[in-house]
Amino acid sequence: MNLNNIYELRWKVLPPLAGVAMIGMAALALVTAPTEVIEGDVQRLLYVHLPSALASYFAFSVTAVCSILFLLKRDFKWDSAAQGAAVVGLIFTLLTLITGSLWGKPIWGVYWQWDPRITTTLILFLIFSAYLIARKSSSLDSDKSARFCSIYAIIGFLDIPLIHMSVRWWRTLHPQPIIAKLNPALPDEMLLVTLFSVLAVILVAAWFITLGVETELLSQRLLKLRAIAKINISEKS
Amino acid sequence: MSEIGFLFAGFAVFWAGMFTYLVILQVKIRNLQSQIDLLENIIENHDEV
Amino acid sequence: MNLSTQLQIGGKLLNANLKQAWRDKTNWITAGMFAVTALLLYSFAFNLTTGLVRNLLPGVIWTVFLFSGIFATGQSFQHDRQNGILDALKISPIHPMTIYIAKTLANILMLLLIEFALLLGATILFSEPLFTPQLLLIVTIGTIGYTALSTLLSAINLDQNNGGLLLPVLALPLLVPLLIASVEATSASLQQEAGTAPWILLLSLFTIWSTAIATLMFPLAD
Repeated sequence: MNLNNIYELRWKVLPPLAGVAMIGMAALALVTAPTEVIEGDVQRLLYVHLPSALASYFAFSVTAVCSILFLLKRDFKWDSAAQGAAVVGLIFTLLTLITGSLWGKPIWGVYWQWDPRITTTLILFLIFSAYLIARKSSSLDSDKSARFCSIYAIIGFLDIPLIHMSVRWWRTLHPQPIIAKLNPALPDEMLLVTLFSVLAVILVAAWFITLGVETELLSQRLLKLRAIAKINISEKS
Repeated sequence: MSEIGFLFAGFAVFWAGMFTYLVILQVKIRNLQSQIDLLENIIENHDEV
Repeated sequence: MNLSTQLQIGGKLLNANLKQAWRDKTNWITAGMFAVTALLLYSFAFNLTTGLVRNLLPGVIWTVFLFSGIFATGQSFQHDRQNGILDALKISPIHPMTIYIAKTLANILMLLLIEFALLLGATILFSEPLFTPQLLLIVTIGTIGYTALSTLLSAINLDQNNGGLLLPVLALPLLVPLLIASVEATSASLQQEAGTAPWILLLSLFTIWSTAIATLMFPLAD
């Protein structure tokens, strides 16, 4: 069984699996998981927040890998895949930021902190938004634009550790109000629920990525058909 | 807002966001597919003529 | 072609680029004028008598530098492309990296000239000692870092008609580490704190990273 055959199974396997996992995750996160002693019920946001963050990293790595593959193979299907994954990544980044601030308000007292991780996530969002804006503002079949955007995605992805490091230094070299270190180590039950949530959300992300890639591939195909139709009509007249 | 309020808001945004994206994608794919079918029909018919 | 011929050709290209920039004038005059205007606006907006300017200056200087840098480098391949020079260079045995390095060096020299002049101007306007060796070093390292990236981005941005508009949107998120490091280094240097060294280190790291990655990526870009 090769990779293509496995990919063909995506419509049969991913949606039901992801759906069931998500429902299970909601039940586990809201009912089964014990209430955190210090933070109370708000802590349950962790079960959507952390998986969303990991899913966005997953999606952006797919974008970076597909961009490298596009540069190597010059096949537009990799460009489509990179774009589809980038959209999914952006959505999960946004969800991470929103659920994070909703957790931050009752716990920290503010929605937004210039904490290294939050700042890095925000900049990740900006970089891949810029990537998509650049890619979508030129025609889909433009080889030059696809190459440029692939390079941009790779550079952006490689910039992330540097951004994280700089923001961390920036915050820690400054005097700042001490934020109580919460959740030093999660109890076993919580850890299990977290792991399950991560699995569920990654499955959903994978499903979304295949759908997004499908959309981009269809757009490519439509473009080609339009060109053919144009030639045919002009031949006729 | 109470603690439960924040929890509810977080989960609501999370689920709503994913469902919205799913619906948008489905509509997009359906639109693209119908346009492709239409064009393919036109091209085929044209070839026959 | 071996390394020494590449170096020789690179030197000739650099010379040609500098001459071209000098003759064309639009790039560096726009960048310089933007920088002067922005600096004047800042000095209108801030109350100089309160003595708080010193804390704001690093941010002022680096936002002005970054944006004028984007003005100056945004069009760096425009002339070459329009006159077919880039196409001629591409089919020649000159390595793309040589082309890129020559262009980047020309941009760096042009920008450093503008920035040093600006630092002199800011010294007069804000009456703060801005023309110190340490600060010049920080400005030089930072300029190399961001010019390396923005020259690469400008090279490939060209065939889109809105390329010039997109450049800041594309470049600035990538330049966050540079902005943080250079602003912090500058403010530490202005306040005679001991904390300059780690920031210069981060700045150098970013400069090495961006120069290396941009040089490696350029052959793929065009």
